[in-house]
Amino acid sequence: MNSPGSLEGLEPKVDEHLSTQILEPSVHSDNPQERIQARRLRIAARLEARRREALGEYLDGKKESEEDQSKSYKQKEESRLKLAKLLLCGTELVTNIQVAIDIREIHRRVEEEDVKRQRIEKLENEVKTSQDKFDEITSKWQEGKQKRIPQDLWEMLNTQQLHCAGLLEDKNKLISELQQELKTKDDQYVKDLKKQSDDICLLLERMEEQVKNVMKTFREELYHIEKAFEVERQELLASNRKKWERALQAHNAKELEYLNNRIKKVEDYEKQLNKQRIWDCEEYNMIKIKLEQDVQILEQQLQQRKAVYLLNQEKLEYNLQVLKKRDEESTVIKSQQKRKINRLHDTLNNLRSKYAKQIKQFQEENQSLTLEYKRLVMQFKELQKAMRHFALIDDEKFREIWLMNEEEAKDLIARGFDVDRIIHTHHLGLPWTAPDFWFLKNVGPISQQPQKSATQIVEEMLLRTEEEEAEEAASESESYLDLPKQISEKTTKRILMLLCDESGFLIESKLLSLLLPLEQSECQLLRLDAIFSALGIESEDDLYKLVNFFLQYRAHHLSSSLQSKPCSQASVEELSVEGTSMESELELAERTEMEGEKEESLVEEEKEEEEETPPSPWVIHPNDVLKILEAFVMGLKKPRDSRAPLRARKSVRSDSKDSEYWQALSTVIPPSRLNLWDALYTALEKYHLVLTQRAKLLLENNSLEQQNTELQALLQQYLTSKINSELQVPPTRVLRIPTK
Amino acid sequence: MQDTVTTSALLDPSHSSVSTQDKSSTGGHTSSTGPQPSKPSSITPVPAKSRNPNSGANFHRMRRIIAEDPEWSLAIVPLLTELCIQHIIKNFQRNPILKQLLPEHQQKVLNHLSPDLPLTVTANLIDDENYWLRCCMQRWPVCHVAEHGGSWKRMFFERHLENLLKHFIPGTTDPAVILDLLPLCRNYVRRVHVDQFLPPVRLPAQPQAGDQSDSGSEGEMEEPAVDHYQLGDLVAGLSHLEELDLAYGVKDCGMNFEWNLFLFTYRDCHSLAATIKACHTLKIFKLTQSKVDDEKARIIIRSLLDHPVLEELDLSHNLIGDRGARGAAKLLNHSRLRVLNLANNQVRGPGAQSLAHALAHNTNLVSLNLRLNCIEDEGGQALAHALQTNKCLTTLHLGGNELSEPTATLLSQVLAINTTLTSINLSCNHIGLDGGKQLLEGMSDNKTLLEFDLRLSDVAQESEYLIGQALYANREAARQRALNPSHFMSTITASGPENSVG
Repeated sequence: MNSPGSLEGLEPKVDEHLSTQILEPSVHSDNPQERIQARRLRIAARLEARRREALGEYLDGKKESEEDQSKSYKQKEESRLKLAKLLLCGTELVTNIQVAIDIREIHRRVEEEDVKRQRIEKLENEVKTSQDKFDEITSKWQEGKQKRIPQDLWEMLNTQQLHCAGLLEDKNKLISELQQELKTKDDQYVKDLKKQSDDICLLLERMEEQVKNVMKTFREELYHIEKAFEVERQELLASNRKKWERALQAHNAKELEYLNNRIKKVEDYEKQLNKQRIWDCEEYNMIKIKLEQDVQILEQQLQQRKAVYLLNQEKLEYNLQVLKKRDEESTVIKSQQKRKINRLHDTLNNLRSKYAKQIKQFQEENQSLTLEYKRLVMQFKELQKAMRHFALIDDEKFREIWLMNEEEAKDLIARGFDVDRIIHTHHLGLPWTAPDFWFLKNVGPISQQPQKSATQIVEEMLLRTEEEEAEEAASESESYLDLPKQISEKTTKRILMLLCDESGFLIESKLLSLLLPLEQSECQLLRLDAIFSALGIESEDDLYKLVNFFLQYRAHHLSSSLQSKPCSQASVEELSVEGTSMESELELAERTEMEGEKEESLVEEEKEEEEETPPSPWVIHPNDVLKILEAFVMGLKKPRDSRAPLRARKSVRSDSKDSEYWQALSTVIPPSRLNLWDALYTALEKYHLVLTQRAKLLLENNSLEQQNTELQALLQQYLTSKINSELQVPPTRVLRIPTK
Repeated sequence: MQDTVTTSALLDPSHSSVSTQDKSSTGGHTSSTGPQPSKPSSITPVPAKSRNPNSGANFHRMRRIIAEDPEWSLAIVPLLTELCIQHIIKNFQRNPILKQLLPEHQQKVLNHLSPDLPLTVTANLIDDENYWLRCCMQRWPVCHVAEHGGSWKRMFFERHLENLLKHFIPGTTDPAVILDLLPLCRNYVRRVHVDQFLPPVRLPAQPQAGDQSDSGSEGEMEEPAVDHYQLGDLVAGLSHLEELDLAYGVKDCGMNFEWNLFLFTYRDCHSLAATIKACHTLKIFKLTQSKVDDEKARIIIRSLLDHPVLEELDLSHNLIGDRGARGAAKLLNHSRLRVLNLANNQVRGPGAQSLAHALAHNTNLVSLNLRLNCIEDEGGQALAHALQTNKCLTTLHLGGNELSEPTATLLSQVLAINTTLTSINLSCNHIGLDGGKQLLEGMSDNKTLLEFDLRLSDVAQESEYLIGQALYANREAARQRALNPSHFMSTITASGPENSVG
């Protein structure tokens, strides 16, 4: 009963909804108030329906239509139950047969089993008994074999036969029994078959009956349900029709009312229309007149406009013609310009190509020229090399020639001197002193002494100082220093030692390790060498500059109050340069011990100066060394640059002194002496003449003497010869010449 | 028109005879209608090509003619398409043209095709149900298309195949008869239902059988070569086979009855086992009334172990004993079997116990039928115990099993607990009055059972009636439950119980 209830719950709701829609405000109404109301009603209805649904049975007491509706559902439910019952019963009825057969089959099986068991027992019993009998018979066969008497044997055979017959009979009986059983079984089977066919028939019958029944009841039920629905539908139709009619009547009444209203309104409107039409007509006429006037005015204006237009047209046409012509002209010009542009483009292109070509050409030229240039540079270098080579050779040659000439000249001079000396000593009886000229000592071409490198100087200096140390004071006064223009050697050495000790950082560590095993002096030397190379001191000058710098620095530092050192850097340098230029001469002088007074005095001066400035290097604090070095390096940079041209010039030797030299050589013998010689010569010639005369005379004398002796000898011979003896008168006797 | 004719002739060179005929005829005729009647065999392009111009011309002609001559009728001259279709129908066997036609023409052709056309032509070409309906109706007076999935074509092929298999005599009939059909029907046959397998013909055996009916069994022992048709090749070829329903036996043998007509040999058994093992689409396998004993049942069941899709196994009306039942129990937990039917076999207590053991934790089996066995209380109690833990079985048939009160006692406990069982059949047992009362008690706590058959089981009328009342209440409740969630389910569930009872 639950399901119809729930369904009923749905149905009335719909119905109610329908009814409310007709009577009550609709949701689709134009009036918003009405719509709101409608919605509210709808919500209320829904809530109501839900509530009712929850209550369930409350539904029964409702409207007529609702009851009608439930009627059909009741009918449906009833018929459903009825049909379900029918089907259940029917199937039970049908399956009953199957169940019955099943149980019969089970009974049969049970019985069959019993019977089977009994039969098997029986058969087993039978087998046992017959086996016994058979054993008996077989045992008797043995007995029979022992029998000798035919009667006995016959008897026994008879009995055996009887036994066998009995056994066979038993077996046959059993067989017949079994066959009987089989027959009954066959009968049973036939019966069963019949029964089964009967059952099947029954089954079929029942099934058919069932089908018929079911169909019938279904039809009936269907008919019932249909009828219920029909009734319901009829009722519904009637009620709806009533509603419809009512609504139609209302509608008709309203329609009539509307029609009346409309007729009235139409009449009203007609009147109004007529009025309006008359008024409109009047207005229309007025407007028409006015508009016609307007038209006239406008036509006039139109004419005017047309005239203007024509004029304008003419003008414009003329303009057009002009413009066309201009256009043509412009096109012509344009084309000309274009052509020109083309031409210019052509030329431009040509120029470009030319330009490119030229660029190429020039590049090529450039390349060739650079090549040429390189070649020339090479050539030039080679030439330079050659030149240098030739210069060297030339130098060499020059030197050789010089030497040769010089030798020759010196020979000549020597001979001259010799002659002079001989003349003086022998002929004049005057003491002869050999003239002493600087150029006489010169050997080789006159040139500046090559500057020694700083290290060489240092080396020399060190060696010398060592020697000095050995000799100590003796040589000190002499101090044949080559360097010590104004600085004592010791000072220099000390400064250098200081330098050597302090600026070890300038030496490479590798070198230091190499130096370890060496002697102290050597070690120092190498160290200094490294330091100088690091400082950029190359030449002697630099070294002196360094030493000077040290001294100056100290002086500057110590005695700003002390009397200002007159020697500015320039003066010092001047001095040093002077010194260097003189060096070679000094050396020469020292070696020859024949010092010109001038030079000597110079040296002395220098020495004095040196003594004047003996600031002890010990005053220089070792810590200052670095500062001094820094300042020196800074200062050294500048003069460095100016030395390049100096060097270049070095190679060009000056021949200014050559002529002087040679001149000096040629005039080594003064003219006074020559005069003397000339006078001497004449005198000597005279003397010579005398002497020659004398000699001639002497010779004459001699020859005469000789003639005399010869004649004496001849005489002697004659005297001594044998002939004399033979001779009667010996000559000897004649001549008494003291022979001896 | 001349153009269309020549093109048609060119386009269809396969029919040389017809096309030459065409050419000769076109030589003579220059009029538009002339070549049409003789042409329709060269069809392919004609209907498709000439259709539009034709209709257009007709349209114009119709209008003109109606204006000029109202008595002129188109019926005098049949349409070209009509003629073509006629010709196609006439020559369908030699030149089947269907797919190239327009749908409405296809329909026309199908409606007029003869059902006697050879299957080689129609099988894979025609899908139209109407045609196959006609074929079926012509061949068989009674057609139950619902049994074949509602498809007439499927029905035709299944029944055709069944017919062939039924009348196949090994050694005499050419196996090619069936194998030739295979490529034609392989896509349509889903179910093979054969209720008779003919044995090979043995001419000398008949007199022997007639002379000594007793020694018939001995003769069979001597000559066991009475194998039936081997289904292996056929089943392997049917790619959509889902159901195999076999009964090794002979129908309508009448007075020619011999025991060996109903012999399911070991070779049959082995080949069948191999066949079903190889068939991975098989869902339902039925082998009934075939004298399957324990050994054969075990062979078949062994081949079904771990089958991927098998859902239903029916071995009813055989001679399966406890060992076979044990095999089936093993199968339960090694497959996805949902329905197991061992009705009318010789399963006894131990077999039922093993089945119960397998059932205790099974989650697939929905229906178990042990009707007409002899499991007795021993097996019944075991099954009842198993049902206390089982949560899947819905249908249990234990009719005719010599069950008595102890089983009923246990079952009543099960009824109070179990919520999945919907149908139990205990008819033809010796439940007794007390057992009936206990079952009634159990039923009072049950809300799911819809059917409970206790006929002829010595239960008191009163308790049976009360149980019926409880079942009715349960049914109503089930119907209500089905109705409430959704309305459209109502009809199904409402009619459900009645149908299943029937």
